[in-house]
Order: sequence, then C-alpha cells, then structure tokens
Amino acid sequence: MSFDKRISRRNFLVGSAVLAGTAPLLSACGGRSSAVAAPTGAPRRGGTLRVGITGGGASDTLDPHIPATSPDIARVRNLYEPLLYRDHDYRLEMLVAESLTPSPDARTWTATLREGVRFHDGRPVTPADVIATFRRIMDPDDPKSGAASLTMLGEVVASGDRRVEFRLTEPSTVFDDYLAQYSLGIVPADFSVDRPIGTGPFRTQDFTPGLQSTFVRNEHYWRPGQPYLDELVLINFAEDDARINALLSSQVDAIDQVPVALVEVLRSDERLRVLSAQTGTWLPFTMRVDRPPFDDVRVRQALRLVVDREQMINQVLSGQGRIGNDLYGPFDPAYASELPQRRQDIAEARRLLTEAGHPNLDVELVTAPIQAGAVEAAQVFQQQAKAAGVNVRLRRLDTTAFWENYLSWDFAQSFWYTRNYLPQVASGSLPQSPYNETHWSDPEFLGLVRRADRTVDRAEREDLLKRAQRIEYERGGNIIWGFMNQVDAHQVYVAGLLPDRTGLPLSGYSFREAWLG
Amino acid sequence: MSRLIVRRLLVSLAVLWLVTLLVFVATLLLPGDPARAILGQQATPERIAALRAQLDIDAPVWERYLNWLGGVVTGDLGTSTATQGPVNDLLGDRIGASLVLLVAAAVLSTLVGLALGTWTAMRRGRAADHTVSGISLVIAALPEFVIGVALIVLLSTTVFPLLPSVTLAPPGEPVWSQPSQLVLPVLTLTLVVTPYITRMMRATMSEVLDSGYVEMARLKGIPEKTVLLRHALPHAIGPVAQVIALQLAWLAGGVVVVEFLFRYPGVGQALIDAVNSRDVEVVQAITLLIAAVYIVVNLLADIVGILTSPKLRAEVTR
Amino acid sequence: MSTRSTVFRRALSLPQAKIGLTLTAVVVLLAVLGPWLGPWLTGHDTTGFAGKPFQSDGVAGTDGLGRDVFTRFLAGGATLLLYAVLATAIGVVLGTALGMLAGYTGGRLDSVIMRGNDVLLSFPQLVFALLAIAMLGPQGWLLVLVIGITHAPRVARVARQATVAVKDSDYIRAAQLYAMPRRRILLREVLPNITGPLMVELGLRLTYSIGYVASLSFLGLGIQPPSADWGLMINENRIALVVEPWGVLLPVLAIAVLTVGTNLVTDSLASAAAGREKEVTA
Repeated sequence: MSFDKRISRRNFLVGSAVLAGTAPLLSACGGRSSAVAAPTGAPRRGGTLRVGITGGGASDTLDPHIPATSPDIARVRNLYEPLLYRDHDYRLEMLVAESLTPSPDARTWTATLREGVRFHDGRPVTPADVIATFRRIMDPDDPKSGAASLTMLGEVVASGDRRVEFRLTEPSTVFDDYLAQYSLGIVPADFSVDRPIGTGPFRTQDFTPGLQSTFVRNEHYWRPGQPYLDELVLINFAEDDARINALLSSQVDAIDQVPVALVEVLRSDERLRVLSAQTGTWLPFTMRVDRPPFDDVRVRQALRLVVDREQMINQVLSGQGRIGNDLYGPFDPAYASELPQRRQDIAEARRLLTEAGHPNLDVELVTAPIQAGAVEAAQVFQQQAKAAGVNVRLRRLDTTAFWENYLSWDFAQSFWYTRNYLPQVASGSLPQSPYNETHWSDPEFLGLVRRADRTVDRAEREDLLKRAQRIEYERGGNIIWGFMNQVDAHQVYVAGLLPDRTGLPLSGYSFREAWLG
Repeated sequence: MSRLIVRRLLVSLAVLWLVTLLVFVATLLLPGDPARAILGQQATPERIAALRAQLDIDAPVWERYLNWLGGVVTGDLGTSTATQGPVNDLLGDRIGASLVLLVAAAVLSTLVGLALGTWTAMRRGRAADHTVSGISLVIAALPEFVIGVALIVLLSTTVFPLLPSVTLAPPGEPVWSQPSQLVLPVLTLTLVVTPYITRMMRATMSEVLDSGYVEMARLKGIPEKTVLLRHALPHAIGPVAQVIALQLAWLAGGVVVVEFLFRYPGVGQALIDAVNSRDVEVVQAITLLIAAVYIVVNLLADIVGILTSPKLRAEVTR
Repeated sequence: MSTRSTVFRRALSLPQAKIGLTLTAVVVLLAVLGPWLGPWLTGHDTTGFAGKPFQSDGVAGTDGLGRDVFTRFLAGGATLLLYAVLATAIGVVLGTALGMLAGYTGGRLDSVIMRGNDVLLSFPQLVFALLAIAMLGPQGWLLVLVIGITHAPRVARVARQATVAVKDSDYIRAAQLYAMPRRRILLREVLPNITGPLMVELGLRLTYSIGYVASLSFLGLGIQPPSADWGLMINENRIALVVEPWGVLLPVLAIAVLTVGTNLVTDSLASAAAGREKEVTA
C-alpha cells in the first residue's frame, strides 16, 4: 500500500472525520482518477455503478410485489416497471402503459399497453401478462404489498390486443394514482421468482440475499439509449458509518441516506456531491382520536400547538426539511396551502388543556427507531411539551415490538413516503384503511372523501378535498411537523442522479439515467 | 484421576443440555411475532397469517423443542425465520470471521502474556516489574468498549489516523481480504485479555523460580536461558494454561461488544441483529454456540487443572 | 473478629489504594453533584437545546440533537453508578448466601447449588443480559437484576471456598455444640471470618458492574434516551467522533478513571487479604 503524497490536507481531514482514518489512503490506491470536475455534456455509455444501500438482510428478495426494505425497493425499481409511476417531480408518468383513461362513471379504467415494451427475454408484454400480474398481486391466499390499496379492484380483463380493462367495484377517480406504485411491476404470465423477469432497464445477473446484487443492462429496454450503464451493483450496508466509509474510500460510487448531522461535513469534501431532495416524506406523531385524552379535540389541538416546527427541523433534521402544517400530500394539486401555518403557541395550548380539564397533562409517547430521526423527534417533542406543562413519557421500543402492537398505540409515531391526498387517505385515514393509526373516522370527512372519489370533474374534486383537509387540520389526529429531505451522496464523477420527490433515495433508485463521467 | 475427568465430562454434558432448555425457554418468551418482524409495516393480517402458517409457528412447544434438539445433535441448527434459509448457511461465514478475530487475539495475548509474565517475574521488585504491573492493572479495569474507543481515537481518527475503525470489506468478501481492518478489533481483545495472563504468569513463574529444582539447576551451572526454558517454563505452564483457557472462554462472549463497536460481521453482530428481528432460531443457535464454546473451554481448563494440580480450580473467572 | 479492619487498614496503607480511592472519589463526586452542577455552570439542562446538532458551541459542543454535551456529561454518571452499585449488592449478597450455604452444608445441597452455578456460568454474562433484555425490554430494574444474577455464581464460588476453609475451625464446632441455629452460625460465625475474600469480590464485581451497565447502554440496551448517560452518550456521539469528539471522549474518560480507581482499591484489598492469609498459615 503506497501513501499518495498528493492528498490534500483538506481531503484528509474530511476523510477521517467520519470514523474513517484510512479512507483517503485507500482511495489513493483505488486506481480511480481524482478528477474533481463534475461531468457535463451528453451522457456517456458504459461502466459499472456501485451503490451502497441501507438495510436489507437475509430476507432480501427479488420478488417484484413484496419489496420490504430499501435494497428490495432499489432492486424492484430497476428490474421491473409498473404500468405507470411517478417522475422526479411527482407527476404521473406512463411506463408499460402508454395511456390510462377512466370511463365517465370512473368505474372502469382502460390501459393501453405501450408498443415495443419487451421483457428481459425479448417477449413482448401482452394483456395476458398484465392480467396474470394482478392475479398474482391480489392472490387471496397470499396477497402482495400492493393489494391493500387496490381493494376497489374487481377484475382485470383484456379488451383488445394491447388493451386491458380494470373494472372496479366502486368508482375511483384517482385509480391511476393507485396503480402508480413500484410494487406493481408487470411480469410475464409464467413468472417465477427463480427467473426474475420484468421490463425494467436492468436484468439480474447475480443475487446474494443480505449481501449484494449485480444487474446488467437490459438490451430490450424500450427507452432508446437507456440505460447508460453496463452494470449496476447494489450492495447492502447495515450501518451508517460503514456506508459512508465505503463512499469515502471509493468502494462504492453512491450511497443512500446520509445521516443529516453529517451533511455539512460531506459537503466540504470536493470529491463528493450531496444530493438533497425535497420530498413529501413525513414522520408524524399519531394520536388515537378514540382514546382518552386524545378523544378530546382540544387536547389534540393543544399538542399540535406545543410543537415548535422550526426547532424540530433544526434539531432533528439539521435543517434538512420543510415545516409541516398537520396536513399530508404536499405535492397534491389539491393541497390546502390556503390554511394558515400553525405555529407554536404555548399560551393557547395551556388554555385549551385547562379547558379540557388536563392542566397538567401526562401522556406516554411510544417511539422506536422506525426511521432515522424518529426517536430524536420524540425527544425534541418531549422537551417542547414541557413548556406547556405537558409531561411526555417516552417509551422506547425496538422496531419489532413497535410493529407488533402497531395501530393500537394511543400516542406513537409513524413514517410515510410521499403520497397524494386520496391514496394517503385510503392507506391511513379511513375506517377500512390498513394503516389507520389515529383511528380516524369523522363522518363529515368520510362524506367529503367518498364524494371526491366519485367526482370526475377536477375543480369540483379539488374543492371537496380542500374541505376534507380543513377538517383534518381542525380536528385530525396527526401532528405533522415537517417533511424530511432525502439526503444521499455520490462521487463527483457520477452523473444523472436527480432530486426526487417520492422520498425514495438516490433519484428514486432509478439508475437508468445514471452515467459515469 | 481418569474417573474424575469422566465425571467432569458427564457434568459438562448435563450442563449443556440444561443450557439448551434454558435457551429454548428464553427464546419462547421473546415478545414479538416473527411474522410481524419480517413484514414490518407491510404486515396486513392476511400476509401475517400466510407467513405464520409457512413458518410453522403454531406447533406445540415440546414438539418444537424436540425437533430443534434433534437437529442440533445432528448438526442442523434449523431454519432462520427471517431468511427462511438454513441457519448453518447464515452463520458459516460469520463463525469464520469471529474465529479469525478470536484466534488472532488468543495467540497474540498468550504469547505477549507469557513473555511479559516471565520477564517481570525475573525482574521482581524492579522498576520494569512495577511499570508492567501498574499498566496491566489499569488496562484490566477498563471495559472492552472503552479500550476500543481509546484505540480508535489513538490510531484511527484523531492522533494517528492510520487504521480503519470499521470493517471496510464489502459484504461477501472475507474479512481478512483487508487485514488492516482486523488490527483494531484484535488489538482491543488482546489488550482486554493479556493483563490477566501476564499477572498469572508472573505469579506462577515467581513461585517456580524460587523453587528447589530451579535452584538446583542453577547450582549445576546450567545457563540461565536453559534453566528458564527447560526447567521453569514447563512447570509454570500448567496453572497458567487454566487461566488462558478461562480467558479464551471469556473472549467468546466478549466479542459481542467489540464486533458491535467495529461493525465487524461476526457472530456477535448477528446475535444483536437476530434479537432485534426476533429470529428465534438464530438467537438459539448463537447463544448455544457461545455457551458450548464456553463450556468446552472451561472443561479443558478443568481437565488441565485436574492433570496439573489436585487443588480446587483457581478463582480467576470473570 | 477483627479481620475486616485489619484488611482495610493494611489495604489503605498501600499508596496504590490511596490513588484508587482518590480516582474513585473524584468520579463519584462528579456523578453525584454533576446533575445539580450542570445547569448552574452551563445554563442548559440535559434535554434542552443549545444549538444545532454537532456544533462546537459551549464547553464541549453539542450532540446529535443539539443538546449541550458538557451538561449531559455532568449528569451522565449518576444512574450508571446507582445501577452498578445495586447490581453489585445483589450479586454479592445472593452469591455469598448461596456459597456459604453450599460450603457449610455440603452434600446434596452443595452439589445442586454448584451445578446450578455451572449452568449460569456457562452463559457469558453479556449474552445472558442480551437474552433477558430482549425478553422483557430495557428497564432499569431488569438491568440491575440480570447483572446481579450473573455475578452471583462467581461470588458463590469464592464464598463457598472460603466457607469450606473455616467450617472445621474450633469456634464453629463450638457453636454447633451449643446447637446454635444454622442461620445464626452462618451470619455470626462464618461470615465475619470470610470478609477478606468477599471484600475483594465486592470490589471486583463493582468494577465489572460499571463496565457491564456502560456496555449495555453503549449497545443501546441499557439506559434509554433521552437520559443523559455515559455509555449511551458514547453510542450517540461516536458517529461524529472527529467533528465533535468531546461527546465521546469525556464519558470514556470518566468510565476509565472510575473503573481504574475501583480496580486499584480492589487490588490493594486483595494483596492485603492475601498477606493476612500468609500470616495465618505461616
């Protein structure tokens, strides 16, 4: 091992900053040129991109329909494609389907398959494949992740060479939104996990659960020229500092989920780029509206007023985020931005609590490391609540124990990626929702949402949704203090990674646009 | 004497069996549902039910214990609930990685401990002896993660940034492919164990050096070096071997914290992971493995003890 | 009957013991007074926010949540010390009782107790604690109990050995002749005569208890956030070791000084007890 004398002192300091004394040393013998300029111009083809991804484990899978961990999601995003998905700005983007249109009563949606989309083995996608895919997802004996939000789906039938009809049991004006999930990738009718074939930009070459997967370019991919990379290697990393070390020592070209407290340190390293994306990802406190003391709306509002949202963003996220207004779905066209921003108001909180008969409120908040920042947010909240005379007792569990009684905690936390309003409502704010953490079932709210579900006229629907949001703003059970930025980092020579609003790291794990300079 | 050893062996077997019971019962009491642990937030009632059926969680307890015990006896540690693959496969590489750590630390600390112990025994009462005793007394007091952090600050991050403080090899590559990443964990474990061996060696060697036959050998005019190697060392090694064995037994458990500190992909890390994901089979396997190593090494220590001295076992345990 | 005072006096006459006592006293004082001193000295409390995360504001910077490291350091020793002392007490009391009973009674009871001991001993202490905490969650009483229980067999071994050594002595035979109840013999006659080795055990177990409580907190299984605790602080702040080292260095230093101090005292006790033993046998 030779010591490269040209390493600048600055690099050296930054390298050692993250528990990694040898990082610059190793990078010096890693063989890559240490060119500092970011690549520009037209994308270059070729090369291998190595990505370090948080989490994963021995239960890693290539199954397109049950991705559970970040590495699973990253694999699914690159091997498979749903009919449609979200682009980097969180707009719907047609993929395997070229169009998806509702009938006037919003009970039937017709998808037209894009011409020239082929599976990894060269076979074209047919309506039969789409039907088989949804049969696999909705299998009553083994329903897959996406099934929970497709409860209105009656049957899927072919209506032509390239047409598929989705017949619904009840009208849904945003069914396209429900279909835009990464866990609804289209697979061939004869799919089996042992032969993981999809239509995504990459295909599997090698896969070792808990360790890494190697994907190669799918020559049949439908977007001309893409992907640019020859090879994509996704490597599991359990620990933050191991992942950062791997980046600093050039063992990987990009990593997801940089701890926010270290953003400034990484930014000062000229060999690296930090990718910070605004998202609609939220980390709420959830109050069960059917359990005392939270069944009193005054208590809920008081606890919302207790939160100093700027301080939350600063202490928990090191400033990497935007304050929230107890509403979700910030990228939805119908987002109720007209509602006044709620701010900390201790006097008002105290008044409400006294009025509700809880001048010295004492509550237990269940927290667990379900997401970076969760336990930290609970601690900051505990501290802020003190000012209003509220004693918050933290009950810190491990994630397993937390999920075991998930949905029955009176006062806990949750974590959600970016969603638009109605899909979020369907997932978490209806009595029949699979994840109704706050046990929210407000009749007026339900009426508005049900009408919106059937209202095809866009302006009229948005009006209904804004009214529904006002109800949640005035009496809902979520304390939504902010939206977290997604912060990732990559080597300066990696190009084509863009800020992505979905909340998925590293350009939404979409590596078809990535290239090496 | 051989009857004593056979009896000791049988006792060890009985203890091992009790340990299997204890481990099994303890893991039964683990709160949490493995099905939920695997599915996380994705857990819908339907998917939980499907997975529970698949995992065969609902069989009677005694049946599960017997199945598991039968497997253990035949070398099959069962199926991991998290991976749904054999535990043997899961632990294979990790056992190797941990063994590398343990063997390196054991060899190093034994050599250093014996050498330092002998050296100080020959210089009893002098400055060198006091210095070594003082330092080993200080180091012996420190918890292993304190030593580890101190080494990180000293050799990795702050004073001399020379060595990696976490395991750098990407998953799948053997840990020894980058030997530099082994240095700090091995050094930490060595530092934890060496003081005990040194002190015991010094005490035993002092006694031996004062004994009649060493005196005799010296009087015969045999060179000091030969006296030391041929006459003193063989007599001192018996009781010290026992201490060494006990320290090695301690290493089997102590490796957990050190692996956690250095993110080392060994059995200790796997144990913490498995506890968190309620991977019952893996928790059982690793706990049993560590306990078995502990029992076997203790047994060896006792046999050495029985063979070298009829006295009761020394009280140097941790 | 004067064993205890002799051993103590002898031990304290060693310079090493004086150093040990001083080191221990310094850290104990810091741990006990720290929680009150902190806010008064720095103007922050342990959970208040002094600035953005990992900045060098104040004496020793801020931690990952922007809390004042120095305040948390001052407050971080009290619980650790309390738990360690309680765990040691449980271990030594339980172990002594079992060991004396086994050694004095002999026979089947002895075998049962000592074999039970072997089972417990065949679990490395930390693995046992890990299992227990996984079962019942990281609670203070459990931490104390588990560490105490894992100490007990080790203490029992020593207590048994010492009891066997004194049980045939004249004064105990005399007591037996007077048909003194067993409990009284154990408490009045045996116990005072085995305090030497027990004091050594006490010191040893205290040193290890401090290490175990801190290790478990460091693994995230001991004292829980938002408490300020030395072990936990090391875990919380190590990611930024070079940017803001004090959050790791201060607690590491305190634990080191404390354990070294108690170990020095223990070692003096051991040599004093050994010296006395030599005198007796001589």
